[in-house]
Amino acid sequence: MSEGFRELARWVAGSAAHDVAVDWLRNVPGLPPIVQTLHLVSIAVVLGSIVVFNLRVLRLIVPSQDPGEMSRRLAPWTWGALPVLLASGSIFVLARPHRYFLNPMFGIKLSALVAACVLAATGYALAGRGETESLRARGVALAGLLAWIVTILAGRWIAYVDYLFPPE
Amino acid sequence: MADFWTRLELLPLAAHIGETWWFPLLESLHVLTAMFVVGSIVFVDLRLLGLSAMRYPARRFMHELIRWTWASFAVATVTGLGMFLTRASWYVSNPAFQAKLLLLALAGANMAIFQWLGQRDIERWDTAASTSTAARIAGAASIICWIGVTLAGRWTGHLS
Repeated sequence: MSEGFRELARWVAGSAAHDVAVDWLRNVPGLPPIVQTLHLVSIAVVLGSIVVFNLRVLRLIVPSQDPGEMSRRLAPWTWGALPVLLASGSIFVLARPHRYFLNPMFGIKLSALVAACVLAATGYALAGRGETESLRARGVALAGLLAWIVTILAGRWIAYVDYLFPPE
Repeated sequence: MADFWTRLELLPLAAHIGETWWFPLLESLHVLTAMFVVGSIVFVDLRLLGLSAMRYPARRFMHELIRWTWASFAVATVTGLGMFLTRASWYVSNPAFQAKLLLLALAGANMAIFQWLGQRDIERWDTAASTSTAARIAGAASIICWIGVTLAGRWTGHLS
């Protein structure tokens, strides 16, 4: 498993995209914090859309808003934020593939992200069919809420992985 | 004053945060809660701009969401202060951090002005198909300020 990731990291490190990403991050003034801010603002959009929607299905927030209407209004924001998150994150992964592909926290983040996306699609689809009060809908909302929180926290912990997984 | 910031750094709590996993814990919680603040405010701003959620009365929409914004803001402030303690004199002299505080103050002033003046005639546009000019200005200014706070906050860590 880890040999496969090592191979992947080596392959990315040898690609032309890697050289471009390194060149941009090094030579375009202010690019790293600007791209990180794009990433962060997209995270804010995720929190303001699917996370607020999940909290609504769990009956914790915005009681006067209709979950069915929320799903139609907020889903485009969630799905619109994703490509921005992927693009802004990819620049850093391309520039330093070993830092990410060999980092257990990055694996946790991506796994939680995939789960969060599947749960978001499920939750929005259920709400689109008018199902927001069932045990199933609430279970999906709770699991989705946790998956997004893990994704975001694990993302920040990529830089601090040594605290949890001491280097050998 | 310089002495004061240095004394903060010498607090046992500051040393504990700076030397243990407390710092990454506080930082990750700060990111989560601060971005919830921005995310929830953006959707209030879109309502003020008359671009989204027009089927809900503006006042109710804002009131229901903003209590969560404040709760989240409180956590972001406490976690932010915890990180600030560890290198207080470095933060206060960091231009990006200074810009962040200025933008936070502007965002707060914008909110206060809207509260006092912009909401005076809310009865007129609370359930209308469009919002007032003052509401639209407040909404646009808020989005700009909060993106600026995020950018300056992220930039703070890039300055040595």
